[in-house]
Amino acid sequence: MSELAVTQIKFRVQRYDPERDSAPHMEEYTVPSSRGMTVLDGLIYIKENLDSTLAFRTSCRMGICGSCAMIVNDYPHLACHTQIEEFNSGTLTVRPLHNMPIIKDLVPALDDVFEKHKSIKPYIIRSDSEEMEQPTREYGQAPAQIHSWEQFAYCIKCGICVAACPTSATDPLFLGPQALAQCYRYCADSRDDGRDDRLPLADADHGAWNCHFAAACSEACPKGLDPGMGIQLLKRMMSAKALGSKARKPAQVVPEPAEIKEKVAWPEFTVDQK
Amino acid sequence: MRNTYLQLIHMVTGVFIAILLGIHMVIMHLDAILGFFGVQITHVTSWDSMMGRARQGLWVGIYIPLLALALYHGLNGLRNVLIEVIPSATGKRVMTWILIIVGIVFLVLGIYAPVVLLSA
Repeated sequence: MSELAVTQIKFRVQRYDPERDSAPHMEEYTVPSSRGMTVLDGLIYIKENLDSTLAFRTSCRMGICGSCAMIVNDYPHLACHTQIEEFNSGTLTVRPLHNMPIIKDLVPALDDVFEKHKSIKPYIIRSDSEEMEQPTREYGQAPAQIHSWEQFAYCIKCGICVAACPTSATDPLFLGPQALAQCYRYCADSRDDGRDDRLPLADADHGAWNCHFAAACSEACPKGLDPGMGIQLLKRMMSAKALGSKARKPAQVVPEPAEIKEKVAWPEFTVDQK
Repeated sequence: MRNTYLQLIHMVTGVFIAILLGIHMVIMHLDAILGFFGVQITHVTSWDSMMGRARQGLWVGIYIPLLALALYHGLNGLRNVLIEVIPSATGKRVMTWILIIVGIVFLVLGIYAPVVLLSA
């Protein structure tokens, strides 16, 4: 079996320790890279072999947790989901996400992203709180109704869309593509009855109408979601409400089945365990 | 839903501006094309021609709405841009009122001449 070819890649990493440094600066590390190695693998190599003081976030290493979002060669990526080979370059420049403060090195402060996310009430709101607290059965929802919000439920809150957004860059108070797309996700959900609570938040100054639809968020999203479209659909929803369109009745609990079939018994265990 | 109403009006004014500005552009700059269709107009930018149009109710009925719509559309667009860079609520209120006053001043200036000519 032939060994994988190893090339030396120069990592230019932004370093910043608020307790020591007055401003961020770049440091260079040479990392041996082979096929299939991700940017995160390179950073872990640096931390384990070259400089243990390097700070970055990582958890799942499989593009699910959203911890390792960072700017690689001037574009936001999930470091675990981005192979070094993709850049076809001997030098990688790694910086923390734009549009948010830096805690240390490649660790951005995501507090603002999460606070804005929480502000739009990202949960199902119902008037029948009794059913919500003590559910009898599930709320009925057709496949088309699920499709209207489903993609936005795959958001991993990595903050990449906010880092890519030009409006978030100029307006720190802008709710941002993450929160606004989630606002649409819950308002579009046929089980939800909370439009009156959420839409005024999206309508306020620094809300949905401040989105210029650059769609940089949609292009950068590592999960392939389209927050830009979500914001446009949210604008349409707000316009319909302003023009007098009545809110639809939220989905009701599915009726009790007329007939409950007997459960099929589990088959006998047939594999001989000797 | 204040911002939604402002933006809805912004979009509607955009549609009407496209129509009225289209008429303006065709008359002022596309005389060769109009000539191709048999409509002969000459010297549309001359003083006499402009004064003549300003005395006709039809043209005043096109230009005054075009001015009002363009002022709303343009100044509301400018407000949207400025909101991004003015974080304080007081600053935003002051900016909005300045834009309203600027809009009213330009509207009165624009309406004044044709109204005087029409009533002369």
